[in-house]
This record gives sequence, structure tokens and C-alpha cells, in this order.
Amino acid sequence: MKRVFAYLFLGVVFVLVQTTLFSRLLPFQTKPDLLLILIVYLGLTENFLRGSFLAYLFGCLLDVFSGTYLGLCGLTLLVVFLAVRGTASHFNTESSLLLLFMVFCGTLLQSAVLILALVFFVDAGSSWLIILGRLLPQLLLNLLAALVLLWGLPRLQRRFVPFLAIPGLHRLDSRYGP
Amino acid sequence: MLELFRKYRTPLLAGCLVLAALLLFSVNLRQRPRTTLFEKAILQITAPMQKGIDSACEFVADTWSHYLWLVETSRLNETLRTENRRMRQELDTLEEVRLANERLRSLLDFKEEVALPALPAQVIAEDSSSWFRTVVIDKGSEDGVREGLPVVVPEGAVGRVIKCAPRQARVLLVTDASSSVATLVQRNRTRGICRGQGDELALEFALRQEDIAVGDQVITSGTGGVFPKGLTLGRVSGVDRGGYGLFQTVTVIPAVDFSRLEEVLVLLREEQ
Repeated sequence: MKRVFAYLFLGVVFVLVQTTLFSRLLPFQTKPDLLLILIVYLGLTENFLRGSFLAYLFGCLLDVFSGTYLGLCGLTLLVVFLAVRGTASHFNTESSLLLLFMVFCGTLLQSAVLILALVFFVDAGSSWLIILGRLLPQLLLNLLAALVLLWGLPRLQRRFVPFLAIPGLHRLDSRYGP
Repeated sequence: MLELFRKYRTPLLAGCLVLAALLLFSVNLRQRPRTTLFEKAILQITAPMQKGIDSACEFVADTWSHYLWLVETSRLNETLRTENRRMRQELDTLEEVRLANERLRSLLDFKEEVALPALPAQVIAEDSSSWFRTVVIDKGSEDGVREGLPVVVPEGAVGRVIKCAPRQARVLLVTDASSSVATLVQRNRTRGICRGQGDELALEFALRQEDIAVGDQVITSGTGGVFPKGLTLGRVSGVDRGGYGLFQTVTVIPAVDFSRLEEVLVLLREEQ
């Protein structure tokens, strides 16, 4: 339960950062998708049911602050989580490089699901063109953000709350540890 | 059968979850104009935090630009003085136009345009993804804001309210791909629909034989049921008539700088 609350707290913080800080700090419209990184991370570390619930909840949370369709990001993040969860057993999940690779694949999958849902279910004009046009910068930003989080979060945790462990992160932070 | 279910339990469960998510998504599509309880609650809970972060950022940016970053100030001062002189000249010309307009109005017995009451609001957050164009404002249903109300700034149309919580609301910007506004080309009254393209707009359904030129101003036609007539949307930046087809392709640069959106006006009107 503590882990779920920790994830929920992190999810809300990520959404707040995405809606307020990034729009001021970044000089362009594209911003890193921190929640996607969190979902990929959940896919590598969490179990099927808990992860699915969290992925859908985070997606709906994102929907409140993004676009006009409640449930769209819920669907895309759930698909991303299930895809990562389904393939994670074929890889070495101890490697942090896997998270970066999965973030790369997750961004592609998220865009594909978004385009499919928008084209088949909604009259969303040229949304698919906008998504395709911004795919490359989005990929680069997501990878950069994942790298920064992998490098920074374990350090922050060791510095400020050394008596606690970030849920599940000990498996992936060995590469960046001291 | 049970054996088969056990064997493929995880993929089956995953499929069911995706199907359920798809179902919820399509159910929500039907209730799109309404703000759900979940959305209201989340907007309500996060608004104070968003306001706090926004104020903190504002304070830091203000301190930085007023006390620490003064290199550009002198040059900016000179530019503003020049601009001020030019604008004074323009103001004199506009005063003449206004007087002439007043005379003509009374002469033709035009009805005075009914001004809608406007509610000032502050933008406290932007869309959390890179794909859509929405903002959150700090006024909601308690202040009289409802779904469907137009949002404007002095430069022109900004968007319309799509979700409304008691103390905050979400605004769909005209540049979002799912936004469309009924428009007119001001010079020759050509009708069309302006659809969002992310950073710019596309004027659709403008007949090929209509004379639209780069630089033409595009305004709202007032027929869409959201925006009042005559609000500026932008200027034509490109026209492509192509070799065939019924319509021409027209791109429009928005009049509003959406990257610097801070204060907006919500135009309130009677509930129909």
C-alpha cells in the first residue's frame, strides 16, 4: 500500500511539473512525458494488476489536464504498461539501459495508440499529423528526462531520505550508484 | 476449456483490461461536453498547488528580469520610445476613423452592438502533453463560467471553455486540432472554418475561386454559436489553390501569442 501511495504522490508531482514548470522553463511546446517514464518503470518493476490499475489511473489523471477526451491517455498508458510488462520477462530488468530502451519504445507505442484512437473513434482533425510531427523531439526529450531521473532520483533519495528506499528503484539504479 | 483459460490467463486479462478502457473511453466521448465528477475533483484538488507553483515561478522570473538581468533594458527602452511615437501617430489617425465611424453609425441608424459582460481570469497551467492545446484558468462555475463560453484577449479569440470545476476551468485553444471556428475573411467576407493545426490554423471550406491573399485578416463570423462576430483570429500566411478541387488550402497565423498567454477574458452570456 505504501508503494501505491508513493507512486500516486510521484504521479501527481509529475503532472504538476508538466502543467506548470515545463511550460515556463522550456521555450518550445513539446515537453517530456514524465508519466510515461513512470509507467515504463512500473512495467519493469510492478505486478500485473497493481500496475494496470496505476497506469489507467495516471492516464485518467493526465486526461484531466490534457486534450478533451477523458480516458484517451488512460487507454494509451494502460497499453504501454501491458506491453512493457509483457516483454519485460524477456530482458534483463536489472539493467538501467533497458528503461531507456523501453521509454523509447513506449513513446512510439503511445503515439501509435493515440493516433489509432483519434483516427478511429474521434473527429480530431489533423491531430495525427501533429503527433507525427512532434514524435522525434518527444522521443529525445523523453529519453533525456528518463536519463536525468535515473541519475538524479537515487541521489536525491540517498541525500535526503537515506533511511527509505524509493519503491523498486534499487533494481535499476545500480548503474548510476556510487 | 478451464485449462486453456489458465494457460492464457494473463493475455486474456490484459485484453479484457484494454477492452474495458476502450469502452470507458467511448462512453466518455458521448459525455464530452460535460465535466465529470472525477475531472471536477482533480481540478479542484490540484488548483491550489498549480497556483502556488505558478506564483513561485512568477516571483523568480520577476526577480530575475527586474534585478538581475538588466543588460537588455537600455536597448528595450529605446525601442519602446520609438514604438510609442509611432503608436501616438496611429492613435491620432484612429481617432479620426472613430469619429467618422460614429457619424456613419448614427446616420444609418445602426443598432449599438451589445457588449457581453467579461470576466478576467488568469492562466495557471498549460496542457500536460505535447499533442493537445489547452490551458487551465483560475475562474470556474462559482464565478459564472460554463462549458462553451468564449475566451478572448485584446488581440483576438483564444478558445472556449470545455471543462468547468467550481473554481477553475479548462480552455480548449483555437489552435488545438479538435477546435474549429466559423470565420470570415475580413476583406471580401469569404466564409470558412478555421481548424487548429497545433501552432497555426487552417482555413477550410474556402471556395477555390474566392480571392484570398496573404496578409488578409480572418475574423469570427458569429455563426458557430460560441464566439461573437468580429473577433480577430489571425492573418493569412499562405494560400494554395492547387490545380483542381473545390476548395483552396489557406494557412492562418493566429493573432494571439499563445506562448505568452497570462490574462484572458471569459465572455459571459445568458444560459440558453
